[in-house]
Amino acid sequence: MSDLPTEPNVNTDQTDQSEAPFRDLFWRKLRLGVLAGIVGGLVFGASMLQTGTLPTIAGIVRADSAFVGFVVHMVVAVIVGGVFGLLLLYQRPGVGETLFWGLSYGTFWWFLGPLTLLPLFLGQGLNWNLVAAQQAFASFVGHVIYGASTALTLLVVERWRHHDAPHLHPWPLLGGAVAGVLAAWILGGAFAAQNGFAALVGVAEQGGTMLRLLFGAVLGLTFALLYPQPSERAGVGLVRGTVYGFLGWLVGVLSIIPLIRQGRLAWTLTEAQERVGALLGLLLLGALTALLYRWIVGASRALFGAEVRGREAEGVGTQGLRAIARGVPAGLVGGVLFTVVMVQLDLLPNVAGLVGSEDRLIGLAVHLAVATLIGMSYGVLFRAQSVEIGSALGWGVSYGFFWWLLGALTLLPALLGSGPTWSAAAAADAFGSLVGHLAYGAGLGVTFYLLEIRYSPWWISHREYRRQKAEQHKREVLTAAPALWGQMVVIALTLPLLLGRV
Amino acid sequence: MSRLRDAFAGALAGLVGGVVFGAAMQTQGMVGEIAGLLGSSSMGVGLGLHLLVSVLVGASFGALFRYQPRGFTAAISAGVLYGLLWWLLGPLTLMPLLQGDGPAWSLAGASAAFPSLIGHLFYGGVTGLSFFVFASLDRRYLYSEQKRPDRKPTRVVVLGGGFAGIKAAQTLEKRFNRDTDVEVTVVSKSNYLLFTPMLTEVAAGASEPSHISPPLRALLDWAEVVRAEVDDIDPDNRTVHLRAHLTSESRTLPYDELIVALGSVYSDRGVPGVRDHAFSFKTLQDAIDLRNHVIATLEWADAERDETVRRRLLNFVAVGGGYSGVEIIAELRDMVRGLLRFYPNIPADEPHFMLVHSRDRLMPEISAGLADYALRKLEGRGIEFILGHYVDEVSATEVRLDDGRTFATETAIWSAGNAPNPLIKALGVELGPSGALPTDDTMRVTGLEHVWAIGDAADVPDMYQDGGPAPKTAQHAERQGTQVADNVVASLRGKPLSPFKFRTIGMLVPLGHRTAIADVRGLHFSGLFAWLMWRGIYLAKLPGLEKKVRVLFDWGLELFFPRDIVLTRDPGDPASPDPNIEPASPDPSSTSSEPVSAKGAS
Repeated sequence: MSDLPTEPNVNTDQTDQSEAPFRDLFWRKLRLGVLAGIVGGLVFGASMLQTGTLPTIAGIVRADSAFVGFVVHMVVAVIVGGVFGLLLLYQRPGVGETLFWGLSYGTFWWFLGPLTLLPLFLGQGLNWNLVAAQQAFASFVGHVIYGASTALTLLVVERWRHHDAPHLHPWPLLGGAVAGVLAAWILGGAFAAQNGFAALVGVAEQGGTMLRLLFGAVLGLTFALLYPQPSERAGVGLVRGTVYGFLGWLVGVLSIIPLIRQGRLAWTLTEAQERVGALLGLLLLGALTALLYRWIVGASRALFGAEVRGREAEGVGTQGLRAIARGVPAGLVGGVLFTVVMVQLDLLPNVAGLVGSEDRLIGLAVHLAVATLIGMSYGVLFRAQSVEIGSALGWGVSYGFFWWLLGALTLLPALLGSGPTWSAAAAADAFGSLVGHLAYGAGLGVTFYLLEIRYSPWWISHREYRRQKAEQHKREVLTAAPALWGQMVVIALTLPLLLGRV
Repeated sequence: MSRLRDAFAGALAGLVGGVVFGAAMQTQGMVGEIAGLLGSSSMGVGLGLHLLVSVLVGASFGALFRYQPRGFTAAISAGVLYGLLWWLLGPLTLMPLLQGDGPAWSLAGASAAFPSLIGHLFYGGVTGLSFFVFASLDRRYLYSEQKRPDRKPTRVVVLGGGFAGIKAAQTLEKRFNRDTDVEVTVVSKSNYLLFTPMLTEVAAGASEPSHISPPLRALLDWAEVVRAEVDDIDPDNRTVHLRAHLTSESRTLPYDELIVALGSVYSDRGVPGVRDHAFSFKTLQDAIDLRNHVIATLEWADAERDETVRRRLLNFVAVGGGYSGVEIIAELRDMVRGLLRFYPNIPADEPHFMLVHSRDRLMPEISAGLADYALRKLEGRGIEFILGHYVDEVSATEVRLDDGRTFATETAIWSAGNAPNPLIKALGVELGPSGALPTDDTMRVTGLEHVWAIGDAADVPDMYQDGGPAPKTAQHAERQGTQVADNVVASLRGKPLSPFKFRTIGMLVPLGHRTAIADVRGLHFSGLFAWLMWRGIYLAKLPGLEKKVRVLFDWGLELFFPRDIVLTRDPGDPASPDPNIEPASPDPSSTSSEPVSAKGAS
């Protein structure tokens, strides 16, 4: 175990280009982006061949042949890739970081491309309506996968050109695989309640335990590849894992499994709607995998790591207690915000059902108690993570969304004894609750942050403290954290709309 | 300040985002809907309102997410996040509410507002990017760090790390937590806060020394701590001269506001022999020395065959009948009684405890009833009280009273005098009758600017005692610390100061053996209940969770195990000359068997 990496972000810091002259950096990133855009465009283009959307694109140049469409598509892909390279000009070059920016970027271009610019070019005016968006669902999947493959290509090429072979440590990978299997095993009951994993992913077999565990292992292993040395709080991992679960749904459930089983992609709206259960399951699986992975790595680091890192002012126990104590009022504030939604939508009797009652006051009490507990867990998972109200908002909202998945869609129905809930219809019904959860998260995150800044964690003079805070902020801005928040909210708000409306 | 600038840049960016969004909305025919909010159907009204909201949301974006160099990608992404949150807040919540409908928190409502979702997303993205551009232009051309006038931080210096000083520093930290142009420096001789109410516990071996003394650096979050001796204070030039070590150069520390909380020192009141032969009881070191000395004395007595010497060794005398004198003699008695089982050669009737007090009754600060109770209780336990007599001289082996009586003892504990720290004389103001710094009721030192004094070293007028000096207790010191910090903040911000106003809550004196006396706002308690109160209240008052837990454990362990008798610092071998002193020394004390090194003030 002695070769266990103890220093965080060794890999990611090695190619820190921030010191290179701007001109060099600009052209290098542009070239990288263009190159990556070609690969991303080829991947996307291949899928479009199958879905038959290439002639639409040819319409931009007033043609309707698939070949012309492909050429136009590639030109656009290259330009968009170049812009992506430039966007990553100063971003930290970690694998996971780049990938999440790619996802976010691809999603953004779906809104900008097929829904906005393409109809404008075609002279149809803006295409901002739900029906058009639903029709463009295959394109949504394609754009996200384009973003992911562009990001990964960019990364591989950059590493390769800098002769910077990735340091593959076996232990984190093993930890990731174990975390994934463990998460899949823990969620087994939830999957079973939805007719089993196999049914959710569109494989008609019964059971599917092996498939589930295998999926978990692959998810965990690849996640460990993205973050070989996670050093942030476990909560950050949880958010990353959720978004990663979304990618897992697109790549695994909508693409690879159908390709193997039926020899084609399952990117149509109907097929996606059939697999919404798998999406919700995978979001949870991803979150849990990343959380467990972070804990496994953290535990092995604490037990076998040689180096004492960081200057923690207090023991872990005290900090944890403090964080939990701050989580209580923060959770209450969030809970009160949520209560507004609850009262408006009359959800309180539902919550009271948890203790076998229908009384609204009891429901309120249960709701606030749960809100407090979740607030405490937020304290533990996201302690000392937010450096500005904006980031507090980002983490809080992301955590709120996670609890919509886990609480409103999974635990609450399970405890109330009503049947399968991982369906498009259930998610659509719970949209009001989603709004509440996001409001809860926002209140929670911001209040926790305000409580936290009253106490500064370093035994250093005031000015030094400010410098460090600014440093931390800069680091966070250059990580994929903002991309994660954005992606979380896009998933949270868009997918119920796209998939819920039949 | 820079947050405000970010808000302006955000407002401008919000305008850009709003124009883009508005243009798109125009094509979708959504502008009229906005105008409808004001009951108008005019396109101009709708656009105006739309742009106004865009600017406000953009400003809040700038203020919340702030500018970060090189963070343009993050700005776009954060903008998208923020835009989408406003989609929830605006079209789904506020707009329907303003139109008199319930919030559209349902799939149907959200689906209807889908075009607006895309609009908000782009609005956020455009606003984020423009914010970055505007804010970096602002930083580059208008408000760069270099162009700012070189503002020196305001420095508040707190002298002294006792209750008063630490409370002041902690309050300053809280008040200036986000004001990074203020630095707070605490100068203290010791690197810990001594929790004096539990000092007797240490002397009696009931608690570990470090458990009642949380380190200053742990108590303070960001204030700078300088462990140094104050050489001189120069109020004219607003500097303090420090020395980190005897061998180091004196260092000058400038201040803008100075809080003097140097506390009191032990005073022998001119009684001969006290400084050399009596134990002081003021510092942690004193308590440790006393405990070691008592155990060493018991060891010696156990091996001593001469009864006269043994009786001298086993006679323990406290001088001064204030709280600490009563407390220490009671605790000492408990400790010696408890340890006797380790020393089978000491007859149970030989240890003798006495307290000499100059007045007619103990603890003049407390009510007569409670003082009587304490006297009766302790006399019942065999402690001898000599009231109305002064000590004239203390020597190595005896204590002589003003009426000529002498008592042979190896252990004289001096708790009859404290005096304000003499360092305050350096301020050059006329001191009050008790030798402390006179202050006004806002704790400004009379006749000086920017100098404040609190705690034992200050005579702060007490509203509840007709302006006489406030009692020099920890509870007053802490309140003065909070108040003086608030006043320093107010004075730096040009706001009115408030006077010190605090009425003594009460007094708690432990008498050993699960008894204590308590006076809480005139209510009197005694015995076991008061003792439990004492333990509970002081445990709660002990700063820091860690120390609380440790002391609680010390107390718990006491239920199962006897007190430790390890000599952690051997005061010297009683049967031979002190090895630290040359045998050929002409000093007669070196040949005596009296352990000199442990005695006197350090």
